[in-house]
Amino acid sequence: MNAVESTRLALESIWANRLRSFLTLLGVIIGIAAIIATAAVINGLNLYVSEKLSNLGKGVFVVQRIGLITNQKEFLEAIRRNKKLRPADARAIEERCPLAEVVAMEVHGQADLKRGDFEIRDTDIGGVTPQILAIEPYEVELGRTFTQDEEDRAAPVAFLGSDVQDNLFPGIDPVGKQLRIRGAMLEVVGTAVKKGAFLGMSQDNYVKIPFSLHRKLWGSSRSINISVKAADADHMEQTIDEVRAVLRARHHVRPGDDDDFAFMTAEGINDLWRSLTQTIFTVALFVVGISLVVGGIVIMNIMLVSVIERTREIGVRKAVGARQRDIVQQFLIEAVLLSCLGGAIGVAIAGAASALLAAYTPLPARFPAWAPFTAFVICTAIGIFFGIHPARRAARLDPIEALRAE
Amino acid sequence: MQPATDELIRAEGLWKSYPMGTTIVDALRGVDLVIRRNEYVAIMGPSGSGKSTLMNLIGCLDSPSKGSYSLNGHQVAQLAEDELARIRNREIGFVFQTFNLLPRASALRNVELPLIYGGVPPAERRVRAAEALLQVDLADRVDHRPNELSGGQRQRVSIARALVTRPALLLADEPTGNLDSATSVEIMTLFDRLHQQGNTIVVVTHEREIAEHSQRIVTIRDGRVERDELRQPVGVP
Repeated sequence: MNAVESTRLALESIWANRLRSFLTLLGVIIGIAAIIATAAVINGLNLYVSEKLSNLGKGVFVVQRIGLITNQKEFLEAIRRNKKLRPADARAIEERCPLAEVVAMEVHGQADLKRGDFEIRDTDIGGVTPQILAIEPYEVELGRTFTQDEEDRAAPVAFLGSDVQDNLFPGIDPVGKQLRIRGAMLEVVGTAVKKGAFLGMSQDNYVKIPFSLHRKLWGSSRSINISVKAADADHMEQTIDEVRAVLRARHHVRPGDDDDFAFMTAEGINDLWRSLTQTIFTVALFVVGISLVVGGIVIMNIMLVSVIERTREIGVRKAVGARQRDIVQQFLIEAVLLSCLGGAIGVAIAGAASALLAAYTPLPARFPAWAPFTAFVICTAIGIFFGIHPARRAARLDPIEALRAE
Repeated sequence: MQPATDELIRAEGLWKSYPMGTTIVDALRGVDLVIRRNEYVAIMGPSGSGKSTLMNLIGCLDSPSKGSYSLNGHQVAQLAEDELARIRNREIGFVFQTFNLLPRASALRNVELPLIYGGVPPAERRVRAAEALLQVDLADRVDHRPNELSGGQRQRVSIARALVTRPALLLADEPTGNLDSATSVEIMTLFDRLHQQGNTIVVVTHEREIAEHSQRIVTIRDGRVERDELRQPVGVP
């Protein structure tokens, strides 16, 4: 008997017991749907992060007082040990690192914003030197960004993220209008293109002002971030080494001691992110693996029931000439089809779920292209693994006994 | 490859023992039986006589403990299970008391079943199955499922299934056991006709009336052939 015939028989049998087949498959459906939905969310997050990081540009890195830290002990250690980064550090890099083409400074503070009766609380106010535009160009919606002259004069000007624009200047063109930050009146020179939210956090609730103005408003005690663009993107490692040497000398770090500052690169952030999501995915895989094993056992159980129910049919088939492998093939194909059907339903549910997640929640879910193929392979394996025992049992039935069965 | 002789079945010293609990039961104790082509034989015997065991051996559903059995030139006694399946597929058409049709399949699909296992291509399968149903006067019922057919029609479907491979032997086990007397007559008339068309038929039954359709009645008792009588069948005009 060929596989086409077995497949047809199996489909007839699955269809004849529709409700039972569906209930049997719940474990596999849920397992496959859960794993692919998880993969879709992680895939979406990864794509989002990669896209954002690619904004950072090639050959660009940021020097910070405290780097990416994943536990509190390290964080406290870094706070205690690492010196604040100051404008003098940035100037030293500019002067003594020939590999560093552009050096920009950025400093952050939180402040409430006011315009007449409108007010927003705790907005991120970033003080930046105009060099930042050569490293990370701002996408301008209205107006313009800052000039070197405004930096030199600590001019009271502001460039707004789109949330600030929407909340403080609803329905009007803010360029040329004034707003109040920490008691100072600033003139809006431009606004940025909307970036959207990530994990429910808005990426547009910020104001950029000249670095020198930020120092006037907040004082000069805050540690700054230094963004560096390497002259040659292919020599970023050497550029980082050059900067490291300059800063270690300035901070009097002894040979053998760790740096008292940290480098952030797109690659570094991406690696950290991937290792994080990898961990989440591995845990999810394990949990879902359990449900797939349970799903497989349920399939095995229902196939054993099916063999008992169809003992007589098996007897007839054997009497008219079915060999053992014909019977094995028939029941194995039925188990595999059953399992793959569950997988297909699971994939469909995961596809719908990731579309809904992407549309109605902050999670940037993206259905992975490999999912249907992987689900097919997993389900085929489950079908074979858990189907072989019932199929063998059916094949080994004695035809005389089987024909006598009620 | 057909043997030169007109012997279809030759059983010599067939012996079958079953373990039953701690003892061993001898169901057959040395049966010798020769059946020629186009013979119409009834095997009779009370329950427990061993006639079912003999039928299972003749039908290649089982192997003897001792003795030799050849069917249409094949030495069957020592064959492995899958080889027996092949012999059953090619040489034997079974007709059961309870019809044993697949409930979800149409009459045509039921009749196709042996051809599926015989590796016959689908198009040819359908033609041959339809021809077999025509032979049992069920050409207008090909798409009906067993539950849409009467008992007599079901038995005729199962006879069509037995005929479709053009087997050397039609082996019927109490073929009228589940039918009323009018339908029984109808089915036995069909067997008579199939015999006239050249088929070799063995009917296992405990009913004298059914056995009397045959040319020869073999009576089994206590695992041995008690009587073997040639006679004039009632069905032939």
